[in-house]
Amino acid sequence: MMPDLTSLYDLVGWLLPLECLELTLMRRALLGLVLLAPMTAAMGVQVVNFRMAFFSDAISHSVFAGVAIGLLLSISPGWSMPVFGLAVGLCIMLLLRRSSLSTDTVVGVIFSGVVAFGLAVVSRDPAVSQDVEQFIYGDILTISDGDILGLFFLLAVLLVFQYFGFNRLLYIGLNAGLALTHRIRVGLYQYLFAGLLALVVVLTYNAVGILLVTAMLVVPAAAARNFSRSAGGMFWWAMLISISSAVAGMVISAQEWADTATGATVVLVAFTWFLASAVFGAFFNHSRKFH
Amino acid sequence: MAIPEDCSSPALTFNRISVTRGETKILEDVSARVPLGGNTAIIGPNGAGKTTLLLALLGQTEYSGEILFSGNTTRPRIGYVPQRFAFDRGLPVTVLEFLVMGLQRKPLWLGIGRKYRERARTLLKAVQAERLEESHLGALSGGEMQRVLLALALQQDPELLVLDEPSAGVDVKGGKVFCELLEDLGRKWGFTQLMVSHDLATVTHHASHVICLNRKVIAQGSPDQVLSVDVLKSLFGIHMGVVDSGIIASPKKDFSKEEKGGDDA
Repeated sequence: MMPDLTSLYDLVGWLLPLECLELTLMRRALLGLVLLAPMTAAMGVQVVNFRMAFFSDAISHSVFAGVAIGLLLSISPGWSMPVFGLAVGLCIMLLLRRSSLSTDTVVGVIFSGVVAFGLAVVSRDPAVSQDVEQFIYGDILTISDGDILGLFFLLAVLLVFQYFGFNRLLYIGLNAGLALTHRIRVGLYQYLFAGLLALVVVLTYNAVGILLVTAMLVVPAAAARNFSRSAGGMFWWAMLISISSAVAGMVISAQEWADTATGATVVLVAFTWFLASAVFGAFFNHSRKFH
Repeated sequence: MAIPEDCSSPALTFNRISVTRGETKILEDVSARVPLGGNTAIIGPNGAGKTTLLLALLGQTEYSGEILFSGNTTRPRIGYVPQRFAFDRGLPVTVLEFLVMGLQRKPLWLGIGRKYRERARTLLKAVQAERLEESHLGALSGGEMQRVLLALALQQDPELLVLDEPSAGVDVKGGKVFCELLEDLGRKWGFTQLMVSHDLATVTHHASHVICLNRKVIAQGSPDQVLSVDVLKSLFGIHMGVVDSGIIASPKKDFSKEEKGGDDA
């Protein structure tokens, strides 16, 4: 049974009484983006600290393979994509922890295998291969009530994880060996992080397309790094930049004069934030960069 | 190998530790004791397996043999001060956050609790680095970083404090001051110290027990027993010019710069 989300969409319209948000479709899309933005912001902080941008790229490109598995096993891609993305994320983390190969090599190998498999299977099916454009650009307007509920659920899980894990993840990001010696459960946090990141990535791809998923994670966090002096500050800056970019990008893309793809516009706004942060960092925050 | 009985109550006993990587034997049948409450130094040339022995102790590398802590295998609370703290210097983290992140459950983005702030201040004071509280971690000098890492290790309320090359990356005077600080802290906090060092001057001045390691244990005992010309010759071989020239008899000079070419960790 699906709860009625109409009043929630009305609230969005009441909060932002803009012409472009008169349709429920648009309100739903905006709500979807505003639910995604804090997730990508929070996880992005750790993606940047762990240098895992390439990892998130690999997961986002695994959506092809996720769809392919769905086709082969006759499962809805709505299920096969997140499950497969999760499996790929945990698999990469397992290899990273066990293998002597460097991070980019491990991720690169899995990345290629997964993308090749997905493209091979998907290309056999003309109906699916026509949808490839949607994979690449994403389409937030196709988001459903079910997706919105899924996003609410994941956001709740993620906030709990960030509440309990943020300090530990910072420790691990600074130096995993020292964290281990000082009795932090490094493995547990690394797997939890990889798994949740995979789920966030798979859900984000629908909004901005696979090419720009990593941008949603990395750009706000990178800008936040330039603005902030503390780890706590970096978290809030990333939140502010991510959510404001989502709202502004959605609204701008819906204007007649713009008429651009929503995902790309959101990322462009975030990128503008980054440029501003780089200027700010160069002038006001250089004291900590003298190494 | 027989273990000398001079240290009656060891904090730590290495019992026939061997580490092999591929074909290479890094440590071979190492048996040694670390006396309780003292300051034990492990010395040896580059590639002698000193750091590997520490990693085995910290449980971060596979080994055969047995490490006993006061007679049993339960690991005590260990504080570890690494030689090189490789981290992303652009990451915005303050020294205060760095010292709180391992203790406070509440995320740093919701602020630092008073209890944890006080605790971090006490630790910084103990290592004479109060003024660094609000500093950015990436902007610290080698010597400042070392103190902050020592504060982080003390936060574990360690029974055993393990230091890897405490005099690397710090000038001679800084190294001496740091060692005196360690001695003072060891007395006040009552932990056992175990350090790896290249630096014979540091060892002769500050260690109460020495383990000479070059894949095997060459000798162990008090510094004046162990640091003989014969032992040092078999340990360092080619570097023996410095011993023959009489520096060991009056160890004032810092050897680490010569061996490592001014390592800046």
